Amino acid sequence: MLKSKYILGLFILAIFLSFPIYIGKYWLHVSIISLFYVMMASSWNLLAGYTGQVSFAHAAFAGIGAYVSGIIAIKLNIPPTIGLFIGAGIASLFGLGLGMLCIKMGGIYLSLTTLAFSEIIRLIITNEYELTRGTMGLEVPNLIGFYSKTIYFYIMIAVSIIFLLIIYKIIKSDLGTSFRAISNDELAANSLGINVIRVRIVAFVISSAMAGFAGALFGHYLLLITPDISSLSQMFLILAMTIIGGMGSFFGPIIGAFFLETLSEYIRIYGEYHVLIFGIVALIIARFAPSGLDGIYQEKISPKMAKS
Amino acid sequence: MKGIRYGWILLIAVAFFTATICYPSISISADTIKIGVVGPRTGSAAATGTAFAEGIDLALDYINGKGGLLGKKVEVVFEDTGGVPEKGVAAVEKLVNRDKVPLVVGTSHSSVGIAISEQANRYKTPFIIAESWADEITSKNYKYIFRAGPCNTGVVSEIIKWLKAEGFKKASLVAENTDWGLGIKKLTVEALKEANIEFQTIDTERNSKDHYTELSKIMKYDPEIILAFVYGFGVHYFIAQANEVGLTPKAIIFEGAGPPSLWPQFWENVGDAGNLECFISSMHKSAQPNQVAKDYWDNYVKKFGKEPSDYKSRSIYRVLLIAFDAIEKANSLDGDKLVDALEKSNVTVPSGQVNFGTEKGSVWYHQFQPPMLIIQWQDRQQTVIFPENVATGKLIRE
Amino acid sequence: MNSLFFMYLTNGIVMGIIFALSALGVSLIVGIMNVINFAHGELYIFAGYISYILSVKLGISFYFAIPIAILTIFIIGILIEESLIKPTYGNDMYSLIITFILSIVLQNFALLVFGPFPNKPPNWISGATNMFGLFRYGNQRLVSCLAAIGIIIIVFLLIKKTWFGKTIRAVSQDRETASLMGIDTSKVNMLSFGLGCAIAGAAGVVLAPIFPVTPLAGVEISLIAFIILVIGGMGSLWGCIIGGLIIGIVQSFGAAYISSGYKDIFGFIILILVLFIRPSGLFGRKAL
Repeated sequence: MLKSKYILGLFILAIFLSFPIYIGKYWLHVSIISLFYVMMASSWNLLAGYTGQVSFAHAAFAGIGAYVSGIIAIKLNIPPTIGLFIGAGIASLFGLGLGMLCIKMGGIYLSLTTLAFSEIIRLIITNEYELTRGTMGLEVPNLIGFYSKTIYFYIMIAVSIIFLLIIYKIIKSDLGTSFRAISNDELAANSLGINVIRVRIVAFVISSAMAGFAGALFGHYLLLITPDISSLSQMFLILAMTIIGGMGSFFGPIIGAFFLETLSEYIRIYGEYHVLIFGIVALIIARFAPSGLDGIYQEKISPKMAKS
Repeated sequence: MKGIRYGWILLIAVAFFTATICYPSISISADTIKIGVVGPRTGSAAATGTAFAEGIDLALDYINGKGGLLGKKVEVVFEDTGGVPEKGVAAVEKLVNRDKVPLVVGTSHSSVGIAISEQANRYKTPFIIAESWADEITSKNYKYIFRAGPCNTGVVSEIIKWLKAEGFKKASLVAENTDWGLGIKKLTVEALKEANIEFQTIDTERNSKDHYTELSKIMKYDPEIILAFVYGFGVHYFIAQANEVGLTPKAIIFEGAGPPSLWPQFWENVGDAGNLECFISSMHKSAQPNQVAKDYWDNYVKKFGKEPSDYKSRSIYRVLLIAFDAIEKANSLDGDKLVDALEKSNVTVPSGQVNFGTEKGSVWYHQFQPPMLIIQWQDRQQTVIFPENVATGKLIRE
Repeated sequence: MNSLFFMYLTNGIVMGIIFALSALGVSLIVGIMNVINFAHGELYIFAGYISYILSVKLGISFYFAIPIAILTIFIIGILIEESLIKPTYGNDMYSLIITFILSIVLQNFALLVFGPFPNKPPNWISGATNMFGLFRYGNQRLVSCLAAIGIIIIVFLLIKKTWFGKTIRAVSQDRETASLMGIDTSKVNMLSFGLGCAIAGAAGVVLAPIFPVTPLAGVEISLIAFIILVIGGMGSLWGCIIGGLIIGIVQSFGAAYISSGYKDIFGFIILILVLFIRPSGLFGRKAL
């Protein structure tokens, strides 16, 4: 039983790893973007889904990571492979600061403060033209010496798996239990002896470090970073993916990211309707199935399969 | 245990889904020639996308009416950039790798133009730019990048010639805080210094709706002319409010992007404040340099039942004609052969005979600058006021 | 002191009143229902569009166009409350997420239906007034500002003096007791959400002649409203007025003396500062 599961797992991994052989350059590009969103949505889910802190600053952290890594690569000639970690580090420092600022506040205040933070970051990036090249976008160097989609794909998949493993470990650990305790009832969690403040800040730091790393990686893949990476519309995509997949579920964001990215390729011809369709799908799911596709699966499909 | 198992099943579903969607990319129809166009169909400059779509229609009518290219029908794949560099890059990614187009034309934002030219050059796909004005695009001297449209240097020199000819002595320079605005501002500042015209500079936010602060500073300075480099509806508010604070009509506003003064909502938004406003354009009914331009005008009127207002429809028409000609002359869809053909291009387009610079080292490499006109709104009618050889009237000042 | 200074001050105050009006609807809804209406700005622009269509396309006088637009938004607000907000009561985050998604949907719907261009209803009045012999100021701005003050006063009277106002204040202070006293809280919720939306609509029709509406204009309105909300304290009507004035004046002077590119950032910085010093806002409720 256990053995067959591992074989199945390896088989699926093999399918993924062989993508570059048979799906062609364009779909490889789509897969890379999907993996970026898997990282973003999963790490946001850790924060919003598990500790109930609905932050609007997640895209801003990706922007911080991307710009830090890009700028130090250009100005200080630091290799991007190191820059990624510095970018993630700086993003996590900002995460720590924002997390501490938000300690005193409850739900709505936290959301509005993170929203303000994200707008500040976007405005600074747009206006500090000398450093960031504003809306023109910053051209950043390659992660490795040369440009290869296949190699980027493997890097993205490796980083995604590492991120997902970390997230999985966290939510299955004691820390994860306290996460959920907090999101359900803060006062009760407090009386159980859980250090609410510490747990919330830890979640903030981890998720912002992940966003920073993912953003930097994405920037070095596209070779171009613009203020759009930290915009509200980017934030909407991350949120919509998590909601559609299932907030507070481990697989939800992964499903959501792949689902929306593929959907967006299918409705590409209807360029103008794009975001509208995403929005309507997300709205319907948020209203009628708050636990997302994953929830629908668990409630409707899984029990039936178990019976048969 | 159970949790993990259903996770795997879901992963299979994801993998399967991804695999199935890979299918359509394999089929490429070989009986048409696809040309890629990129432009802003959404976002704050979506009006340009509409103008592009009209130009594309006319260009396709023209070429397919002649029997297509290399014996095949021509098809255009028009991808949206939203005026955002990433979206532009994603669009070219799709055009080159999925639609396998031999060449790409278009765009109207400098930032998008710059991002795409990096990428197109990397993919060795020729890219002919219609309306991204940043000098950087051609001054990088990339092999696969061409521009058959204005560059900032060319536009600024035209504006300065006009300022000198009219004898303006004191100017306010208002620029949006974007790549294009700041780029053209820098060039204009240098040129104004050289021309000995006194000036002040003011930066503004492209989407800002309230310009009273900037306008008060300009009032205090009391210029004869205001050079406004704002590409977007912000300039409409600027013009309306300049009139409210009493800046115009005493001073003249010159709008340096062009299309905003021609967008359909212009008069609704600015009201009478729009009278005597000047702007730059590359098209006017009275200034038709050749038969191609006249045909374009007539065909436009025939097809759309109105006169062309936004010159960007003709810009995309221009670059498409150049692209058709290059494919025909190269008799191939190979990138290098197309570059060769483009360098030798001498096709006639509505703005004259194309001639790309081939000497490296400056902005003029692979650059063809169409002649620009300066137009003034006089009683809601466009009057060409510069250059003199095509002028239909004189500048009116209060 | 010179004429420029007075110009900046006047414009700051006028913009401040305009901002206060834009934030009033959100503030009211938060105060009563503890729901952040992210789609506030979109309702504002829809009102602007409706008044544009009625007055420009159908040629109806703005005396009629304005009440029709406000009433339509009131009804839309009630529909939104019934269909989307109702199941979220008691879960602030859920309603926040739903209205955030709704705002994106409405923006893109507006883009599709009205196009990306700004639409401007005709001015009610033309020309400009010479202010104290120092500078000229657009008449439409002055009139819109007066209308904004009028609407703010009406809302204050409604909340502080009428029976309806007393009821909603009772609900906002103690939902359970109010319900025991025989107040139908779900009806109060529905009406107050509608009222909040109607105020957003009123702001939209009053301000559209000065600032024409575009599909994305609502985002800016919502963001400013949220800043004011946090600065003034959730649900405090006076806080809303003071917060609006602070933002208007700071923006005007900031743009004049610091940088016009950074105009929008000042509000966010004030917000973070206020939270740092007084997390419940300047006039805030302690309970939050």
